[in-house]
Amino acid sequence: MSNYIPTIGIEVHVELKTKTKIFSNSTNGYGQMANSLTNVIDLGYPGTLPTLNKEVINLAIKAATVLNCNIRKEMHFDRKNYFYPDNSKNYQITQARTPIGYDGYVEIDDDGIKKKIYIEEMHIEEDTCKSTHRQDKTLLDFNRAGVPLIEIVTKPCIKSAKEAKLYLEKLKELLFYTDVSDCKMEEGSMRADANVSLRKNESDPFGTKAEIKNIGSISNVGLSIEKEIARQSKIYDEGGSIEPQTRRYDDKIGDTVLMRVKETGNDYRYFPEPDIPFVIITDDMIDNVVKTIPMLPEERKEKYIEKGILEANAIKLIQNRQLSDFINDLLEEDINFKIASNLLLGDISAYLNKEDKKLNETTLNKERFIELVNLMSNNTLTSKNLKEILEKIMTSDDTIENIMKESGVQNITDDSMIKDVVKKVIEANKESVDDYKAGHDRAIKYLMGQVMKETKGSVNPKMAMDILIEELK
Amino acid sequence: MEEKLSREEILHVANLARIKLTEEEIEKYRVQLKKLLNDVEKINEVEGYDNDILIAPWESNTTLREDSEGSMLDPKAVVENAPRHSGNYISVPVVIGESEGA
Repeated sequence: MSNYIPTIGIEVHVELKTKTKIFSNSTNGYGQMANSLTNVIDLGYPGTLPTLNKEVINLAIKAATVLNCNIRKEMHFDRKNYFYPDNSKNYQITQARTPIGYDGYVEIDDDGIKKKIYIEEMHIEEDTCKSTHRQDKTLLDFNRAGVPLIEIVTKPCIKSAKEAKLYLEKLKELLFYTDVSDCKMEEGSMRADANVSLRKNESDPFGTKAEIKNIGSISNVGLSIEKEIARQSKIYDEGGSIEPQTRRYDDKIGDTVLMRVKETGNDYRYFPEPDIPFVIITDDMIDNVVKTIPMLPEERKEKYIEKGILEANAIKLIQNRQLSDFINDLLEEDINFKIASNLLLGDISAYLNKEDKKLNETTLNKERFIELVNLMSNNTLTSKNLKEILEKIMTSDDTIENIMKESGVQNITDDSMIKDVVKKVIEANKESVDDYKAGHDRAIKYLMGQVMKETKGSVNPKMAMDILIEELK
Repeated sequence: MEEKLSREEILHVANLARIKLTEEEIEKYRVQLKKLLNDVEKINEVEGYDNDILIAPWESNTTLREDSEGSMLDPKAVVENAPRHSGNYISVPVVIGESEGA
């Protein structure tokens, strides 16, 4: 346990889900052949001029809105000057002085305690080209150059690795649900940097911070912050002082390692980008974007719980957007949502995973799903029988009832039929009946098993059990 | 007014630009860069100076482009236009460390 109070700020870069790049009309894509998604603007050829993509502004407005930021109505871009091969113009176009969003927050839930993580600012910038370091050379792929990014910077208000992780999870959820970004950390479309400093008392000024760059997953953000707190605590304990520096998290050794001693902000010699005049954001533009924001995860969760879905399942549904969207479409229907959520998260998810399919690639539509849920709620279809016909349900357009008929998995829901079977079983298993009557509860399980065997599992277990208990009296 | 920049200032700027300077060049640029700076500083003498004019000296604002794809360059042509390439990649001397930007 550290004797110091950590102060953590997080910077997140998110690639925006546009068709084209921020300043050129070449394709914004991932995983394509190197240098196949470029034009003269992305390559920074002399004499080229940037043209600003409208969708970038729309997505940034959307992000600013869901992050509860104020939106700047008149903004401009700036050049950040630095020499490095990932940046052929020798400057990156960014927003240093007029970030599109400012003074926002994201609310996290830390074991039932709500806390606001304050956002200092959110600005738009272009991504750099991707460089791969080999032994004797560095290889450049400009497909990523000019991909639109937003950078979201928190205030130094995060107190622990856990809070940092909760913040990132929430941020990811919000940006993913609003289609601002696909937020794939493994593909680099969401990247996090953490600034960590320590101090002895709340009343002390902030300590010198170290920046951990480009952390590749949310869990590594947590681990690297913990390691960094430990590293700095040890230095302070030994009477040393912290140098401002940039570090990175090394997955293999599970610790942060030094990259370089930081250059200061002034060395970037920011100045306004003269090729892009002022950008004016009108109320109409904002209204049009706000209209497209779908129901957000927090509200979805509340609605699901209201409808009787268990909280754990509500959370699982939100983590799977296709399932959550599917359920959202049903919220006005009068169905058993507990069964509906169990179905989606259980058998249907298992089927989709096995077949590597998305829900909309199957034949299961809203109407047939409602039929399925109703058949299960009134015990016409047991979960055992469902497993047998699930593939047909997901691949044919027929009604569930017809599929049941054709597959011969009609459930026995007729009391008298079940009663006949139960009587037969009791007759044939006198010994177990005696055991049960002598107080051996386990015997009833055996009898129940016999009933299921006799009916080939096509009987509703709860109904059968009730009848069995009744008949044994 | 001092007519030269300091040696340290020149070396700092050279370092940011990732260039090496000879002793002769350092002395030459101490004078030349200072002269440039003095010239630029004359902007401060303009009456009614407004920061916004520096950002955009014209009245019209940015027109936004629709998000629709246009033509791209042949990757072969792209890499062959660079001094060195390796397969479909542009190749540059090995660099240590990570990007400053983004």
